[in-house]
Amino acid sequence: MSARETLRVAAVLDGTAATAERQARALGAFLREGLRLGADVKLVAATHLFHADQSGRESLLELAPTTDVRLIRTPALRADLMTAALTAFEAGGGAELFVFPGGPLGTELAARLAARTGGSVMTDILDAELSGEGLACRRRVYSNHLVGLFELRSLPWCITLDAGWSDARPSAPNEHVVQTVAELHEDDSSASGPLKSVEVLDQPTTGDLEAAKLLVVAGRGAGSRDGVERVAAAAARLGAAFGATRPVVMNAWAPPDRQIGVSGARSAPAVCLTVGVSGAPAFLWGVERAGFIAAVDTDERAAITGEADAVVIDDGVAVIEALADIVASERP
Amino acid sequence: MDHLRIVVGFKVTPDYEALRAPDWARAAGGAAESGGGPGAPETRYVRRVLGVFDEAALELALRLRDARAEAGLETSLAAFSVAAREADPFLQTLQALGFERAARVDPRAALDFAPRVTAAVIATYLRRIGSPDVLLLGSRCGPGESGAVPFLVADELGLPCVTEVTDVQIASRGRLRVTFAAGGGWIRATIAPPCVLAVGNAVVSMLRVPTLKDRLAVRERSLDVLSSGELGVDAAAALAGEPTVLASLETIDRERAGTIVAGRTPEEKARALYETQLRARLERL
Repeated sequence: MSARETLRVAAVLDGTAATAERQARALGAFLREGLRLGADVKLVAATHLFHADQSGRESLLELAPTTDVRLIRTPALRADLMTAALTAFEAGGGAELFVFPGGPLGTELAARLAARTGGSVMTDILDAELSGEGLACRRRVYSNHLVGLFELRSLPWCITLDAGWSDARPSAPNEHVVQTVAELHEDDSSASGPLKSVEVLDQPTTGDLEAAKLLVVAGRGAGSRDGVERVAAAAARLGAAFGATRPVVMNAWAPPDRQIGVSGARSAPAVCLTVGVSGAPAFLWGVERAGFIAAVDTDERAAITGEADAVVIDDGVAVIEALADIVASERP
Repeated sequence: MDHLRIVVGFKVTPDYEALRAPDWARAAGGAAESGGGPGAPETRYVRRVLGVFDEAALELALRLRDARAEAGLETSLAAFSVAAREADPFLQTLQALGFERAARVDPRAALDFAPRVTAAVIATYLRRIGSPDVLLLGSRCGPGESGAVPFLVADELGLPCVTEVTDVQIASRGRLRVTFAAGGGWIRATIAPPCVLAVGNAVVSMLRVPTLKDRLAVRERSLDVLSSGELGVDAAAALAGEPTVLASLETIDRERAGTIVAGRTPEEKARALYETQLRARLERL
């Protein structure tokens, strides 16, 4: 078999979502730094930009991480129409590698596209490398205890990106060559979309956790709802964002938008203080990019003690309250 | 919809949080020693637990049944797992909680990292028993946690799928009102069955516990157990054609200094932490 000279890549950007900028950052960074092709292989990439209306089209175009852009107009929340459009593109020669940002829509599009085209699906990719006739991808497995190296054998390879990619710096601006390839409407599907009476809920977001420079996190070791509330109060006095582990949220000791970890927010604070957190890898994913981690826990054998820069073995609530007092007394 | 058939699929896994760092290092090292094939952690002596999102899906199904009963609507509940015998105690618990049908499909093969084969077995089983009005699944489950299985099943069955569902309520005209995470926020919408709902971070996350009386009432009831071969799916052979293959495992290095901060009281330790570790860092923020 002759050596590969090019790799045709479709980067899929959902411009109908509020997360379009983060998606674009992830796609651009992955194409720049996360995909290893080998010296003799040329990347031929195009952005497939789904957008809902004409008004925001120009600003979305600026986000596209590749020069070539294929515009596809679609109603929002219509994964069925998007899947059909991508499947049709693939049937016409399409791409060998489809790259989707992480998240529910990316997972749906990647899975359904792979199912319909006989391709391979792999989600939450850390990085990827051409390997013979396949694509070797690394992703976290076993609740973030290990990283698995997977081989994707069947084309097209349909992958979604690990959430960490969306923290990357933006791509340099591109000159774009734009092609409008489709206008998808309700009538393009055999039935109208499955979701009716759609309401976007006005709820608190995790944005403060993701942007925090100082973060305090309460774990189950805080002992009770009262303990967690005392940790949150201390965090407020410290001027810190307040987060919680999944067990704390599942016990309804803190609201869901406070959750840190694989199924919650991911933060990169300069300083992170954990209180009564055992250090499960699924949680650590949410704070592993912290510059400094100090852990307070009563259990000196807890996993967190090996994963923190400084460790205090004591009652976490008492220590964080004392720390808040000290910091308050030091302020001018 | 006067009668709603709800089926919940769930998975039982070892409690991975019970394993220590050396166990994981051995798993990754075992992969290297085996000369190519992936290793796996030793979990024979670790307790089994429901996948966290699967557990939420089971409880949401019960709550949906209860809400429909209050509205005078009938619901039938069934649960299944593609698993070996380790799922049986969980299936018996579900019988005691009112799941009228509890089934296990034994694939006789390790499907942990094979979402396509897993989805094929599930879809074939559901066709066998009659495709449900609502299929509830956890959005992802260990150790692979791909999140792809609900969509692959939905695609095989030709159904819409909503993932990261956090709540399900009854709505008018037989529809369901679902709340789910999407596009960086939360959305509430109605959906008409048949559909697949993949449950994520639902606040209702813990499965209720049956009473002893409930357990005794179903103690004579048997589980439906069948092999994937009886469904016409040779899972072991299908694995050979799985388009994604786990080749090896690596450990993740998270080690930090772990400097112990000394002191006799919480106040002393807080002061020592502040003076030796935090003061300069906080001043730079």
